[in-house]
Formats: sequence, C-alpha cells, structure tokens
Amino acid sequence: MTYWTTMIVGRLAQTAMVAWTIVTMCFVFVHVLPGDTALRIAEARGGAEFLNVGRAEEIASEEGLNRPILLQYGEWIRRLATGDLGVSLVSGQSVTSELWYRGQNTLVLGIVGWLASHLVALPIGICAALRPRGWVDKLSSFYCVTMASLPSFLMGIGLISIFALSLRWLPPAGFRSPEHLILPAATLALGLSAFSIRLIRDTVREVNGAFFITFARTKGLTASMALWQNGWRNAAIPIVAFAALQFAAVVDGFIMIETLFNFPGLGDLLVSSMLARDVPMVMGAGLVAAVGYGLVNLAADLTSLALDPRISQRDQRRATFR
Amino acid sequence: MMRRMQVASIAVLIVAAGIHLLLPGDPNSQDLLRALEGPSLLHPFGFDHLGRDVLLRVAHAAPRSLGLAGLCVVFAYAGGLALGMIAAYRGGLVDAVLMRLVDLLLAFPGILLALLLAGFLGGGPGPILFGISLGLMPQFARLSRATAGQVLAEQHVEAAEMAGFRTTAILRRHVLPPVIHSTLPIGVLSVGGAILSVSSLGFLGLGIRPPTPEWGAMISEMMPYISEARLQLAAPCLAIFLSVLAFAHVFTTGRKKVTAGRRHD
Repeated sequence: MTYWTTMIVGRLAQTAMVAWTIVTMCFVFVHVLPGDTALRIAEARGGAEFLNVGRAEEIASEEGLNRPILLQYGEWIRRLATGDLGVSLVSGQSVTSELWYRGQNTLVLGIVGWLASHLVALPIGICAALRPRGWVDKLSSFYCVTMASLPSFLMGIGLISIFALSLRWLPPAGFRSPEHLILPAATLALGLSAFSIRLIRDTVREVNGAFFITFARTKGLTASMALWQNGWRNAAIPIVAFAALQFAAVVDGFIMIETLFNFPGLGDLLVSSMLARDVPMVMGAGLVAAVGYGLVNLAADLTSLALDPRISQRDQRRATFR
Repeated sequence: MMRRMQVASIAVLIVAAGIHLLLPGDPNSQDLLRALEGPSLLHPFGFDHLGRDVLLRVAHAAPRSLGLAGLCVVFAYAGGLALGMIAAYRGGLVDAVLMRLVDLLLAFPGILLALLLAGFLGGGPGPILFGISLGLMPQFARLSRATAGQVLAEQHVEAAEMAGFRTTAILRRHVLPPVIHSTLPIGVLSVGGAILSVSSLGFLGLGIRPPTPEWGAMISEMMPYISEARLQLAAPCLAIFLSVLAFAHVFTTGRKKVTAGRRHD
C-alpha cells in the first residue's frame, strides 16, 4: 500500500511542479520581457487606434502593475490558487468557462479517437500474431513502419483531401455535428494504431510462444483454447498499460490535429491565443493540458499496477536491497 | 533488404540537403500571373498562391529544416550528456537536483514546452532551437546518467582517480566514450522527431515565419488553397515524410540484428 501512495504523491507533486513552471513562465512573459505590459493590455482591449499613454496608465493602476514585481507575483499565484484564471485579453470573457467548453470537445475527440484506434488495432494485431509472416502480418507491419514516420497533420491533410474534397463525404473542418468528428478522430486513431498494432502483435506472439502455452497444448488443449484460457490475461497486461499511456499521447497529438481541422478544442485554443498573445488564455489552456497529461499518466501507471501485482513487488524488493 | 533501406535513406538525406545547390533562383521571387499554376516540365510542382515555384521553395527550405533539427539534437545531446555525466559523477544533492529538473522537463507533454517557449519568445530560429532542444534533452540526460553511473563504478575509473587524474580528464577519457556509444543511435533517431517538431511549429505559425521557406509554414500557407492546389501542398508534405522516414531507417539494421539474435536462443 505504501508503494501506491508514494507513487501517487510523487506523480501529483511532479504535475504540480509542471503547472507552477507554466504559471511562472506566463508571469515572466507578462512582466519581465521587454515591452510595456499596460500598453499591451490596452491594445488588446481597445485596439491599436485607441491606444494612448493615459489609458495605459489607468490600466496600470487598475491592475496594480505599478507595485513591486515580487508582490505582483504573490498576488498572481494567490489568485490562481483560488481558482481564478482571469479573463481573456481578447474577448474579455472568463477563461474558466472557455476552457470548460473547449475541454469537453477535446475530451470527446480524444476518447473517440482512442477507442477507434483500439477497435481497429486489436483484431489486426491478434490476426498478425497468430499467423506470423502471413499477409495480415506483412501488410500490418508495412503499415506500422510507414505510419510511424507520417506525422498526424500530414495524414490529416491526406484524409481531408480524399474524403472531404474529392469524395465530398465528410465536412473538412469545424465542429457543428457528430459528422465533423469523424475525420479528426480518424486521423488520431490511425496515428495511434500504428504503435498499438505492433505492440499487440509482439505481445500476443510472445505469450503464444511462452512455456505455459506449450504446457497447455501438451495437456491436449487446442491452440486457440490454450491462448484463450491461459494467454489472454498475460497478454492484456502490456496492452492495457500501453493503451492507457497512449491516451496520454492524445494530449500531445490534439494540438496539431485541432489546428488542422479547425476543431474548437483546447489545442486550437492554445495555439490561437498564443498567436494573439492572450496570456491568461494561454496559461489556462497550458495548465489544463499539462495537468490532464499528468493525471492520465498517473491513471496509466495505476492501471498497470492493478493488473500486474508483480510490478509493485519487484520495485519494493529493489528498494529494500538498496 | 535492410541495407538497401539504409542506403536509400542516406541518399534521400543527401539529395534533400544538396538539391538547392542544383536549383538556382530566388525561392521568394513572385510571378503573380502564374499563381496556383499547375505542374509543368520546368516546374514539376507548380506554383503557390503567390506565384512562387514550389519545388524551388521546398528545395531551399530543406537545409534550413534539416539543419535546424540537427542543431536542436546536437544542443540537446551535448546538454543532456553533460548533465547526465555531472549528475553521475557528483552524486548526492547535485544528482538529485539535476535529475528532478530532468523529470520536470519530461513531465511536459510533447510539443507543449517548445510551443510555449517559441510562442513567448516570438518565433525565429533561436527560440525554436531553445524550445525543442530543451524538450529533447531529458532523454539524453537520463540515458547518459545511467551509463555514466555504471562506468564510474568500474575499477579502471577508481584506478585513474587514485593515480591523480583530474576530474575532466577522467570524464573525458573513461566516461565519455561509453556514454556516447550507448546514446548515439538514439541521438540520430531523434533527428526525425526534431524535424517533425520544427515543421509542426512552422505549421502552427509559431516557428519560422513566412516568407522564409520552411516546410511546415509552407503547408499552413497553402492550406486555404487545398482544393485548387493539392500538388503544391503535397510537395512540402512529401519532403517532411521522406526525411523523417529516412532518419528512422538510418539505424534500423542494428536494432533488427539484436532482436533476430535474441530469437535464436
């Protein structure tokens, strides 16, 4: 039990450190880098035409920009700690509500893409493993090698070009109906499946060649019976652990995919607010992405611990020997 | 079979890095009358929305994209090796602090760190280099710390210490060679990932700014014209794909041999 708590606390502390780094980076950007902060905020609020020194000074006193920098940093952290992420410099709306709306979209996209990738990868991987050097195996390993070098946004461009422009089956961009989800989710799924097919194939093949399967076969079970009764739990451990880890990789991939498909999610928000220099929004989106990534990673670790008690036992033994 | 793959990938990389020397001309010169014109014999990939020769731009972007990616890896590699070796040699508090820093960098999801840094510092080669190499560094630091730790525990290092060699000499002569040996393949392999990161940032509008030719930026520039000019859009895509594929295959032979050997016993 102590092993679990140590691991959870360690992971959470690490995620908190990442969050703090992002917050501090944003603070440094706003206050220390060249350029007058008040002028920048005034420009973002009223546009460049209405920009003047008087207005900027008003904002500076309003926002407390004249105070010592450390005091402002303390204030910045204190406000965040109470859950107040501020308002967008561009739209003037609350960052939290925007994040909530965008986060849901991203979550839907991530879950659909992730599930789809495993629905495709499991049968293909298992087929390839059961018939080594068969046509499924050859075709799928060619697919994996190619896809591993094909960045997601290139694949997305290809899919848009075929299914949205040539065949006109699906909408190319935006998110107004469930149909809009298909192409970005497919892009995500194809990219993920390249890695999981290979892992599933290798795992199933390894389990299939293990001694306990040979033993089950000598007992008189058929090949499929042996694999089904004795093998699947052993094969499931790495596959499920990897699947959970891949969900964390979704957090990485969605930035490119959402920008490409103009999908109103967190990644698109992060990039567009970065281009507009909307610091509170960048900070909010960055925080959600980093914390989400940390938590999903933690969940992945916990899943593999729950599935395979050998991990915690092995690590504990190592700790006592040290 | 694998040997052929390696030769092919090295050939692709040489062609990519050198083809701009064979194609003279200014990649930024515009001929608006020929905007979005299709392919012809002299201009096999046609013209983009501003009437610039796409092949010329892709060719002139290659040394920049590849060079920037290579430099990112070189910086990350040098920094990671230095950090890892110092951490392993000093041990104790220095080790703990450095490795926690590395853990912190590892906990950033993928491209987020590079995106934040390049975005805040305002595009251009410098911030890109900084952001991407900071993201790549942790893996090299981890790996080299592990190898350096093993080597430092060996007796010839102890002997060198007792003989009175200076720290830098010991690290350079006894620790650096095995550390390089264990990390170099991954270093070369990660150039492909760095190419991807550079072009991703360009695509997002946070990397190298147009009109400077860069593959990712070219893609995002051409995206609005995707239905009229697919070939023009395909050219930079193909360039990215081929160079990432090439870097992935430069070192596969070694890995294949290892797994093949293991299968025999």
